[in-house]
Amino acid sequence: MTSNQFFQLTITKVFLNLKAEASKSYLSYLWWVLEPALFVAVFYLVFGVFLGNRSEGFIVFLMCGKIPYLWFSRSVNNSANAIVAGGGLMNQVSIPKVFFPSVVVLQDLIKSAVVFLLMIVLVLINNYKPSIEWIAVPLLFLIQALVIAPIAIISSALVPFIPDLKFIVMTMTTMGMFASGIFYDYRKVVLPEHHDAFLLNPLANLIAMYRGALLENQWPDWQSLGNITGIAIIALIMSIKITQFFDLKYPRLVIR
Amino acid sequence: MSREFALKLNGVGIEYLQRQSFFRHKKHRVLSNITFNITKGETLGVLGRNGCGKSTLLKVLAGIIAPDQGNIEFFGNSVSLLTLAAGFDNELSGRDNAIVSAMLLGNTKADAIAQLDEVNEFAELGGAFEEPVKTYSAGMRARLGFSIAVKMQADVLLIDEVLGVGDEGFKKKARSVILDRINSEQTVVLVSHSVDTMVNLCQRAIWLERGQLKGIGEAATLCEEYRNTFKL
Repeated sequence: MTSNQFFQLTITKVFLNLKAEASKSYLSYLWWVLEPALFVAVFYLVFGVFLGNRSEGFIVFLMCGKIPYLWFSRSVNNSANAIVAGGGLMNQVSIPKVFFPSVVVLQDLIKSAVVFLLMIVLVLINNYKPSIEWIAVPLLFLIQALVIAPIAIISSALVPFIPDLKFIVMTMTTMGMFASGIFYDYRKVVLPEHHDAFLLNPLANLIAMYRGALLENQWPDWQSLGNITGIAIIALIMSIKITQFFDLKYPRLVIR
Repeated sequence: MSREFALKLNGVGIEYLQRQSFFRHKKHRVLSNITFNITKGETLGVLGRNGCGKSTLLKVLAGIIAPDQGNIEFFGNSVSLLTLAAGFDNELSGRDNAIVSAMLLGNTKADAIAQLDEVNEFAELGGAFEEPVKTYSAGMRARLGFSIAVKMQADVLLIDEVLGVGDEGFKKKARSVILDRINSEQTVVLVSHSVDTMVNLCQRAIWLERGQLKGIGEAATLCEEYRNTFKL
């Protein structure tokens, strides 16, 4: 299989999977927006109405962190089992195993792009005015995709060897939510001397930048954005190499 | 024989590790010390009873798994397992599945799309081609799978018991297409439980028993021996 064929196949599979997924429910594609919208509604009810935190735009602040983080945790958890789930197919045809997590990551990427539009709408209806800094958001989105991909690929590459990792991945993504500043503004909660350590978490950093651009008209910190991108690209190459290294091991591992 | 080699196996062995408890693993030998070659254009039969390692051998030949011992030389040839319904998604239409499946079998997207009408015509699905595969009968599904798979291009084609899919009419058609492939310059490795098929189609054959190569030679002679051993 040439690399061109591989990309064609991956893209085709992604769109057909989305089509298949949509055909399984009555409201089909509408669920992509409906599901996160319900999510926002519940958060609004809990934080805005019951806890009375309506005043300072807390819901918008929350969603600008929650939506990007949800994309990350969904992608990683959905990919963790991707190579195992591809066991049947990889025992029939010779195919690069990175195909399986790639399809999952791209599928989630497309769905998340739609959810991000919802997030922008939410920001707009809360009386935030679009500013020039908003153009950083698509860039942040792409860099977040670059961060998600290697983590998703590595977890899918290791789960066939250690099936128990699936549960660890699940726990880590839930725990990671608390370490990424979804429910709080790190500048108010985390001690100043620990800010640098806190921002070592690329998701915490990206979420702070999303909020900066959308809610505070601030450009991202280009230096740390560059660092994240560089490390993510290296990690991505390494994660692909790992799946290539074990390529012929997987068909036997996942069939047992 | 002065013909060019298509594939060459040197002392190939495969063993599976079966996990028994946290640290203990049991080694399970599936193939050991298999040595033979396939020359270009020939049809080689693989004889053997259930569980003798035939499917594992085909996976090694297809490059899906790597041997634990020995090695396999491909001489730059592409080898593919003729697979029915590879990667089918029940929610998608016959058309969509035909595209993905053909791409999985090594076609470009353009080729996969170009051959759609031919696939549908051969599979005799008519309007059902646009319906989700979950609405298909087992026979329709098999027909679609076969029609896609038979278009597969590979230097060495591995065929595992697919000569009889669908109803009588389709079976006949499928058989004749496969026979055309086998009788052309195509290099084929054929696995079948029917000794008669093997005698008719193959020049040479190998006989596997409990993962070992029990015999190799002219198909007619070896099949006779096989038949006598198991009183078939």
